[in-house]
Amino acid sequence: MAASAGRQRRGEAFTAYVMLSPWLFIFFVFIVFSIGWAFYLSFTNYNLFSAPKWVGLAEYQKVLTNEDFIKHALPNTLKYVGIVVPVQTVLSLIIAFAMDQKIKGRRIFRTLFYIPSVTSSVVISLIFLWLFSKVGIINQIFGLKIDWLNNPTYALPTIMMVNIWATIGTMMLIFLAALQDIPYALYEAAAIDGANIFQIFRYITIPALRPAIFFVVTMGVIGCFQVFDQIYVMTAGGPLGSTTTIAYLIYKWAFRDTTIRMGRAAATSFILAIMILIVTVIQRKFIERPEEQGR
Amino acid sequence: MKRSLFALLTLAVVATLLVACGPQTVTVTVPVEKTVEVVKTVEVTKEVPVEVPAERVEVRLSGWASSPSETALLESLLYKFSVENPDIVVKYEPITGDFWQAIKTSVAASTEPDIYYMDIFQFPFFAQQGVLAPLDDYMAKDGVKKDEFIPTLMDAFTYEGKIYGIPKDFNTLGLFYNKDLFAKAGLTEPTDDWTWNDLQAAAEKLSDPANNVYGFGVPADSGRFPVFVFQNGGQVMNADFSDTLLDSPEAIAAAKFYTDFRAKKIGAIPSDVGEGWQGTAFGKGNFAMVYEGGWLIPYLAQQFPNTQYGVVTPPAGPQGEGNLIFTVAYVLSQNSKHPEAAWKVINFLTNAASQQTVLESGFALPSRAALEQSDYLKNNPASAAIFRGARDGTPFMWGLKGSDVNDQMGKALERVYLENQDVTASMQEAAQKIREALKD
Repeated sequence: MAASAGRQRRGEAFTAYVMLSPWLFIFFVFIVFSIGWAFYLSFTNYNLFSAPKWVGLAEYQKVLTNEDFIKHALPNTLKYVGIVVPVQTVLSLIIAFAMDQKIKGRRIFRTLFYIPSVTSSVVISLIFLWLFSKVGIINQIFGLKIDWLNNPTYALPTIMMVNIWATIGTMMLIFLAALQDIPYALYEAAAIDGANIFQIFRYITIPALRPAIFFVVTMGVIGCFQVFDQIYVMTAGGPLGSTTTIAYLIYKWAFRDTTIRMGRAAATSFILAIMILIVTVIQRKFIERPEEQGR
Repeated sequence: MKRSLFALLTLAVVATLLVACGPQTVTVTVPVEKTVEVVKTVEVTKEVPVEVPAERVEVRLSGWASSPSETALLESLLYKFSVENPDIVVKYEPITGDFWQAIKTSVAASTEPDIYYMDIFQFPFFAQQGVLAPLDDYMAKDGVKKDEFIPTLMDAFTYEGKIYGIPKDFNTLGLFYNKDLFAKAGLTEPTDDWTWNDLQAAAEKLSDPANNVYGFGVPADSGRFPVFVFQNGGQVMNADFSDTLLDSPEAIAAAKFYTDFRAKKIGAIPSDVGEGWQGTAFGKGNFAMVYEGGWLIPYLAQQFPNTQYGVVTPPAGPQGEGNLIFTVAYVLSQNSKHPEAAWKVINFLTNAASQQTVLESGFALPSRAALEQSDYLKNNPASAAIFRGARDGTPFMWGLKGSDVNDQMGKALERVYLENQDVTASMQEAAQKIREALKD
């Protein structure tokens, strides 16, 4: 009996693998193989046209001592993640909570908040390029004369604002879905106990949303570490390197330079991947653990 | 069940084979013009049977697609070619998006087209890596002489004594000036004989910062600033591109002259007036004079048809004339399986008749020297000024690390503009960083 059950299970597993095979094929070719190849390239000097030349850790060393990386890309990326992730998470949570209340016209608001998420980031970047130009609407409304995107002090914060505005919608949607999952009975009980709306938010909504918060923060961190398209369109890393991020530097080395430095771009990619990994692990400790202990 | 499936498959295979060796003629869709009623011309297509020779070779051609009308122009030339050479099929594969990313990766994978566009700025790397085929033998065989083309352009695509590209067209910088603003300021319009002093004096009179009008556009752009370096007797790089000369007294003095326009508020960068490009600032009348290439002419005609402007060659500096040349060539891949056929295509696209067609279309300035005397340029003084600029021009190319040189040159000007850094220190910093990049 046991043997035949085992055989049956193996049979099922086989069927599962057969059905998965198209996806597995793509996964191995375009993900596993690509990552492996990039890992190999990160130890080489490779300009695309000549065969890769093994140089060991030399390219990693060059990245970590490169002025564009240390002085611009690394601090800019960390600043970007450090500001954009908390702001977009908190703002989207507040908006989601508001949208979950029975307020007038919330369907319209929901749609409005979500529109940026379904708009191409290139289009959004172009719109903000106009809004934040020296003679743009933002300066006119506030009576300023700041050249937002051509000023080393303001360029990165401007792009942060664009990204926060553009991503809030998706995150709000995730929070909204999670909010719908919270049993109404909990709110009712809290209301009977005399909790006000802030107490309800703090002691019921937030703890119940922990998995959603973890998801949103993780996706936010990964997205922010890899910020590229807005920068490519709006500032091309300038002025004076003030918006050069790690992902932009990778692109510059891999494709934009006249003499391609593919090995260095690959090495930088792995440095970026390791950074994302470390941050995600730390984050897990902070966000997921308390929930497990709480139960 | 199984047998019927097998039969079905056999049938399918046989059918495919039959189709494959079937017809000897193919139908090609060819655009023909047909006049309808009195005024309207409508484009209709007609199926034309074309006799196809038994052996045909396929040649692939790639370039960036700058505009639908320019693509149509190339396609019409290729159609003419196909009529004259029925044994060669040219497959035109325009690349939309990032051309260099696409072409470099396809070269890496050895799947690049037989013929592709080569910008002079990118040329040194391709030539040094040996992925292009030399064209000297083909040129000699078909009697194509080097001096039929503008010499600077031919020399630009020469690497270690061999020609690797036939220049298809080029652009230089011209001094575009706004006629209305000149009339308002009571100034006489510029001529080819102007000097730096004339430029500065006119910029002073034309500027009206309170109304967002500036005399001259001085962007932190490595595609404009070097003109002043050349005119001051300097160079961006030394002859073999192994060192930069941006910290030479000539280059530093040129940078001072250039950045002084903005310091004195008689010049500005495009973002000062809320634009991303000075061409737009010129069209809107914010900049009275700009250095731009022939690409500005169709742009102004489309976007700012009411802007009255003229074009002359850039004013001479203390050490005479100077200009930048932007040029693109057709190159032949070293990997090409049909280099003879591909050469025929290149030769056809750059022959006198084709280049005349390109010139008359108004999209670009073709590279043949004889065209300077053409009626078209006589009737189009703006384009003629851009064409004349080639005489005093230096190709826009800084060697293998060109992008690093460009970046640092731009940053040197940005440091002066945005951080009020001293010009000399900023140029020295740029030179030092370029030297680091050259060693890297």
